[in-house]
Amino acid sequence: MNKLQFYVLHRQFLFRVVDAELLSESAKGDASKLMGQFAALLIFFSTVVGLTGLLADQRNMRPAAILAMDWTVEHFLIQTTMLVVGLLGVLSWDTTFLDLRDVLVLGPLPVRRSTLFLAKVAAVATALGAAVVALHVFAGLTWPPVFMPAHSGVFGLARSFAAYWITMVGAGVFVLCLMLGVQGLAALLPRPQFLRVSGLIQTTAFCLVLSGYFLEPTVVRPQDFTAPGNQQLLSWPPSYWFLGLFNFLNGTAQPALASMARRAIVGLLIGVLGAGAAFLFSYVRTLHKIVEEPDITPGVRGGRWLPRFGDPPLTAIVQFSIRTLFRSRQHRLILSFFLGLAFTIVILYVKTPLAQRSLLDASGTNPWHQVNVPLLVSSIVMMWFAVIGTRVAFAMPTELRANWIFRMTDFRRLPDYVKATRRSLFALTVAPVWMIWAGVLLWLWPWRLAPGHLIVLGLLGTILVEACLYGFHKIPFTCSYLPGKANVYYLFLAYGTLTVYLLDRAARLEQSALQSTPRYTAVLLVMSALAILVRWRTMVLSRSEGAELRFEEEEPPAVLELGLHRDGAPMIGPIAAGAREETSKYRNWSF
Amino acid sequence: MLQLQNVTKRFHGIVAVDNVSFSARAGEITGYLGPNGSGKSTTMKMITGLMETSFGAISFEGEPIQRDLIAFKQRLGYVPEEPHLYSHLSGLEYLVMVSQLRNLPPKATAERIDGLLRLFSLHGDRHASISAYSKGMRQKVLLIAALLHNPDLILLDEPFSGLDVGSGLILRSLIQELAARGKVVLFSSHELETVERVCSRVVILHRGKIVADDSIERLRTLMELPTLEEIFSQLAVKQNTTAIAKEIADLIQA
Repeated sequence: MNKLQFYVLHRQFLFRVVDAELLSESAKGDASKLMGQFAALLIFFSTVVGLTGLLADQRNMRPAAILAMDWTVEHFLIQTTMLVVGLLGVLSWDTTFLDLRDVLVLGPLPVRRSTLFLAKVAAVATALGAAVVALHVFAGLTWPPVFMPAHSGVFGLARSFAAYWITMVGAGVFVLCLMLGVQGLAALLPRPQFLRVSGLIQTTAFCLVLSGYFLEPTVVRPQDFTAPGNQQLLSWPPSYWFLGLFNFLNGTAQPALASMARRAIVGLLIGVLGAGAAFLFSYVRTLHKIVEEPDITPGVRGGRWLPRFGDPPLTAIVQFSIRTLFRSRQHRLILSFFLGLAFTIVILYVKTPLAQRSLLDASGTNPWHQVNVPLLVSSIVMMWFAVIGTRVAFAMPTELRANWIFRMTDFRRLPDYVKATRRSLFALTVAPVWMIWAGVLLWLWPWRLAPGHLIVLGLLGTILVEACLYGFHKIPFTCSYLPGKANVYYLFLAYGTLTVYLLDRAARLEQSALQSTPRYTAVLLVMSALAILVRWRTMVLSRSEGAELRFEEEEPPAVLELGLHRDGAPMIGPIAAGAREETSKYRNWSF
Repeated sequence: MLQLQNVTKRFHGIVAVDNVSFSARAGEITGYLGPNGSGKSTTMKMITGLMETSFGAISFEGEPIQRDLIAFKQRLGYVPEEPHLYSHLSGLEYLVMVSQLRNLPPKATAERIDGLLRLFSLHGDRHASISAYSKGMRQKVLLIAALLHNPDLILLDEPFSGLDVGSGLILRSLIQELAARGKVVLFSSHELETVERVCSRVVILHRGKIVADDSIERLRTLMELPTLEEIFSQLAVKQNTTAIAKEIADLIQA
């Protein structure tokens, strides 16, 4: 292998883990900013977890409590490492194999296939390794001293550090190998089938990683492992295998964990060897196939017809939005993330004592066949995350350079484009979510009560759509993306999650309102007024002076104009002709 | 008539187009020529309104285009240099989308699209995803999209790129036919032989500045050169091409 070629290719592939073409002109196609954001997020997480490690005081705790606490934190850290590596693996799915451009550029060069293969794998591994390091940069310093066996001295401390890092890296490598192996096996299919199946596997992997993380038990105790009912259940999730491995390496292994450690080592070996073989074999085959069978996902036969959504320009934008969301893997993945999160929140909520109690409180034989809080909350959460997720996907461009056609045909006023985006959001989120819930509720609940909630759900969807449209002066999928603004979404997400408790209260209010006509009328009136208010607010902003359709996301100015004006002349910028004379009067003044 | 007066474009202080003035008349095909990086595509983008001028004015039929840019764009057909298209759409879906964005009557436009797809030999592939199209097929989609609304001003930036011989010959005749029907055609290309056959006038650009603006016939007479290629070499290339070629050969052999 030519080392220089390897280094050059490794560097190129590493910085292509993120697609720089969708970034805003302001970001200058610099993917490092986006990667820096990911790293900052992980380091922040590590700092918070690391600080809790510093504050952990086990002096007055009973040994059983210490063990339960250690195992819970160890399992949490392993599980989070697997989640981060899994998510990054899913997000960099398309970069694992060479694409047509790579083959056409690198194919004619005297570069060995093995060099290409190793550089590509090394780039993916470097990116994922960097993520693991960022995730544990602080936690990996403060927690090993807590986990070390009592009175084991410096050797025990060193062993704990080594065990910690070996386990975390091992857990990451295991997940990476699983991803590569699955991709390698899928790539053995004929290329058109691979391209079709690949997106499906990616989305499935994404859902599995996310739901696995949230659905696994959060507290790990020794008795959980010895309980006969749990034996089958706990032997499957790999995060428990690595919990066993850590304790084995750390010298704190309990009999309950011994078999888990064995599973981790065997799993890791099988993973590395199996994935390596499958991936290498498919890689060699894929290089031929990429050139012979270009990267074209076979078209879907039928189902091309879409209804009209207003006049032709509006219809064009809505249909474009629908087709893009259905056909773009990247955008589908963003939406899947939010829907996966919604499902997780719903499942977690249904498992909470809050929800269980409300089901027990219900009179009658089957509480699900009555108006119940868990179903009310579930429908609201699904609507909430579907709208937010689609709105986030709308902000990410597809084939940015092709947006010239929209720029050439921007014949309408901004409010018309806002209207088109509104209809897209309704068509893609509110209408399908509403219809699904209409089917579920009309089947489960009495006919008289189900429509009551469906009206409330429709109004909620309207309010959410209008809130999402505020300041969104773009055609979906056509404006460049500026890294940094995404923080808004994380905040929104955080608020969304925190709001679940409030949603529970609101659902209870709605439950009681559905039993009383005056209260239900009041709820409808308040929600209708809110819907009108947010819509009015959105339209006023879109009609305001200076509001225009955007195709390029821009950084906020480094220096903000305060808008202080004197005699109608702005202080910053060119002085109006009339004001210039006024200003010249003061030039001779001395202070 | 399309008129450019003292049009200048600067990018971060670098002058890409420098004080360019010329006009393109109805019924005439104006060739817009220049070496790579001379500012041809930048000028085209300024005429389309995709890019703003740093200085100067562009007017169409006496009206500055910025006065009513939307009305101007409705009369404009543009084939860009690079075939940037939404490849997740099929050729037909893309053309229908463009017709809708231009608010064309659906029924009549559907027939027009169907006819144009047949004439450009794309009808059989109309349902295939654009990602499956060859460069020539993409170019044909761009040409149909540019002509769909029967524009009065047609800007063609390297329109022959990727087209096969037959399609190229059809396009050449089409450009002449459109000009004969009173359209303003501004045509940029590196294929000087085609330009010589098609264009009545040429504007030659070098390093952002106009170095010639006249009919090909007059340029031939004035410069006493037999072909457009030689005229272009003398005005815009300004390099001893044979000597440079020799130097390159020497350098790679060294």
